[in-house]
Amino acid sequence: MKVIELKNVEKIYNDSEFKVHAIRGIDLDFEEGEFAAIVGPSGSGKTTLLNMLGGLDKPSAGDIMIGGTHINELKGSKLIDFRLHNIGFVFQSYNLIPVLTAKENVEFIMQMQRRPAAKRLERTRELLEKVGLGDRLNSRPNKLSGGQQQRVAVARALASKPRFILADEPTANLDSVSTENLLDIMEQLNREEKITFIFSTHDARVVKKAKRVITIEDGKVIRDEWKEEDVR
Amino acid sequence: MNLFKIAWRNLWRNRRRTAITSASILFAVFFALIMRSFQLGFYDHMIRNVIESFSGFLQIQHIDYQDDPSLENTFPYSAELQKTIESTPGITAVVPRIETFALASTGNQTKGALIMGVDPVRERSLSNPENLLVRYRITHEGIDRLNEDGGLPQPVHEKLKDILGNSYTNTGSIAMDLELDEKEDSKILDAIASVSHFPGRYLENQDDGVLVSDRLAKYLRLTVGDTLILMGQGYHGATAADLYPVRGIIKLINPELDNKIVYMNLPYAQDFTGVGDKVTAVGINLADNSDKNMLAIQRSLAEKLNSDKIKVKNWKEFNPVLVQQIEGDNQSGKAFLALLYFVIFFGIFGTVLMMIHERHREFGMLVSIGMRKTKLALIMVIEMFLIGVLGVISGTVISLPLLYYFHIHPIRLTGGLAQTMEDMGFDPLMPLAWTESYVIWQGLIVALMVVLSCLYPLRKVLKLKETEALRN
Repeated sequence: MKVIELKNVEKIYNDSEFKVHAIRGIDLDFEEGEFAAIVGPSGSGKTTLLNMLGGLDKPSAGDIMIGGTHINELKGSKLIDFRLHNIGFVFQSYNLIPVLTAKENVEFIMQMQRRPAAKRLERTRELLEKVGLGDRLNSRPNKLSGGQQQRVAVARALASKPRFILADEPTANLDSVSTENLLDIMEQLNREEKITFIFSTHDARVVKKAKRVITIEDGKVIRDEWKEEDVR
Repeated sequence: MNLFKIAWRNLWRNRRRTAITSASILFAVFFALIMRSFQLGFYDHMIRNVIESFSGFLQIQHIDYQDDPSLENTFPYSAELQKTIESTPGITAVVPRIETFALASTGNQTKGALIMGVDPVRERSLSNPENLLVRYRITHEGIDRLNEDGGLPQPVHEKLKDILGNSYTNTGSIAMDLELDEKEDSKILDAIASVSHFPGRYLENQDDGVLVSDRLAKYLRLTVGDTLILMGQGYHGATAADLYPVRGIIKLINPELDNKIVYMNLPYAQDFTGVGDKVTAVGINLADNSDKNMLAIQRSLAEKLNSDKIKVKNWKEFNPVLVQQIEGDNQSGKAFLALLYFVIFFGIFGTVLMMIHERHREFGMLVSIGMRKTKLALIMVIEMFLIGVLGVISGTVISLPLLYYFHIHPIRLTGGLAQTMEDMGFDPLMPLAWTESYVIWQGLIVALMVVLSCLYPLRKVLKLKETEALRN
C-alpha cells in the first residue's frame, strides 16, 4: 500500500538575484513498512525533499499525496493538524522540549491529539520501554546523553501513530555506539511493527541498514536501489 | 502537560532573565504605587484640611456671594431652612456662618482677621474649634521648672528648646514633635504637660467672648482673658466695632487660617455686622464624600430649596483654586507614571524579543510536530503574563507595608519644603493614601503592557516558517 506518492515534484527558490532549482521533477513512491535512505552530497536537495514530504515546505510544481491527501493543498492549521496525525519527525539535533521530562515529551504529542490520559500514559511507557528508556521516564533532556535524547525523539515521533517517520540526519550528532543502538531500535520497529522510516543521511551506517537507497544529485533522483532481501 | 505548566517551566529556564524582568516590573510598580499614594494621600490631606474640616463639602450661598463675597450678598437663615436641609438624607452637619473681615487689634498691634460667626454647638460637627483649643504651650518658665525638678533626659531637654513657644491641643502632638512614645515615655510627657498647661475654654451659647487662632494671638500678643478690639465695615457700609473678651486660643491645622481666624457666637457676629438674621453661608458635611453622592445630594437640595436667591454649591465649585491645584499636580504625576510604564513596557518587550530569538528553532520544531501556532503564541503570552504577575504582586507586597506605615504615620516635612506648604495654606504633612483602586489599576496597566509588548512577537510566531526556524 502506497503511503507517499510524488509526481513530477519541483522546487525552485526565488532569490532576489538567482533562481535555485533545488528539486527537478522527482517521481517517487513509498510503500508502507519501508526503511529508506535518501542520500546525496550537500546541496543535492535531500533536506528540501524531506521538508516537502513532511509538509514543511511546498513544491513549486507537481503533487505530493500522503495516504490519498494532496498535502500541497493544505494550509495553516489544517496542514499542522495533518502533520500531527500523519507524520513523525526525528531531527538531527533531537529537538526535545527542554522543560519537559522524557515521559512528558512523548506524552505531549498525544495530548495535542486529545487522547485520553490513561491511554497516553500507557503508550508513553510502552514506547519508552521499546527504545530502552523505561528507567528514564522522569529525566529531562539535559540529563540524557545524545543517544538517549534521540531515542526519546524516536519514541515521540511514534507516539502519534503516524503513517511514516521522517528522520533528517538522525545520527549526525551521535557516536558510533549510540548510532548502532538507535539504528537497531528503528530497524526493529520497522521489522516488527511495519513502521515506515525515511532518512536523509550522509552516514554510511544508516545506508548499510537501509533496505532502499535513493540517491539524488542536483535535485534529481539518479539512483533508486533496493537491497536484495527487500526487492518488491 | 497543559500550556500553563509549560509556560511556568519555561520561565525558569533562564532564571536570571526572568528575575531581572520581574524585578524591573517590581521596582516600577513599587515606585508607581508609592508616588501615586503620596499624591492621592496629599490630595486627601488637602481636602480634609480645607473642605471636610472647614468649609464643608456643600455650601448654600447667596447666588452672588462667590463673585462678590461681601455682607451685601447674605441670605436669611431661618429654622424652616434649617429643617429643610436637615431632612435630606446623607447630611451629617448643617452649620450656618457669617464670614467677614475686620481689623483685630490689641492697641499696639493690629492685623486683618477673618471673623467667623458660628453656632458653637453646630460648629462642633464641622471645624470643631473646641478640639482645636490650645491646652499646652511650651514656655521658658515650664522648661526652667523641669530643669529644677531634674530627671528629664538630655536629648528631650534639647528638643524642648527647639519647640519653645509652640502651642499644642493634646499631648500626642507634643510626643510627636519630641519623637517620644506616648506609652513608653508617658512619665516624661506627664511632666512636660504639667508645666505647660494653657488656660482657655470653648464658647458657650450666648457667650459674648471670642476664640482667637494661635498665630494671630501670638502676633497680637493676646492670651486668654485679654480683650480683643474688632473694627470693620458692616452691612450696607455701616461701621462695625466692638470689644470682645478672649475665651480661648485655638490652633488650626491650616497655617493660613491659623494666622487670621477669630470665632464668635453667630448672634454676636450678626449684631457686629448688622445683618440681622442673615448668614453668608451654610456649610454642609456628608456621610459619603464621593463625588457621585455629593452631586446627588446637591441636586436634591437644590430642588427642595427651589430658590433664585440662594444656590447649593459643591466644594469644587466654591473652591476652584483647590481643584486646580490638585488637577495640576495630578497631571504631572500621571506623566511621571506614564514614564514608569514606558520603562515596564520596554523591559517586557526586550524579554519577549530575546525569548523569541533564543527559541526560534524550538518554535519551528513544535509547529513541525503538530503544535498550532495559536497555542504556541498562547504559551508565550502566559509566560509574559506570569512575569508580569510576579512583578506586580511582589511590587505590591513590598509597597503595602510601607504605604500602610506612612498612611498611619504621615511624614512631617521640615525646612524649606514645610515652609512652602505652609505658604500654600496646608499643614506640612505628607500622608500616603491607603489601598484604593489605584493598586488594582497598577495591575491592569501592567497587564496591558504585557499584551502590548507581546503583539510584535505574536505576529512573528503566527508568521513563523517552519523550515526557516529549523535552519536557525
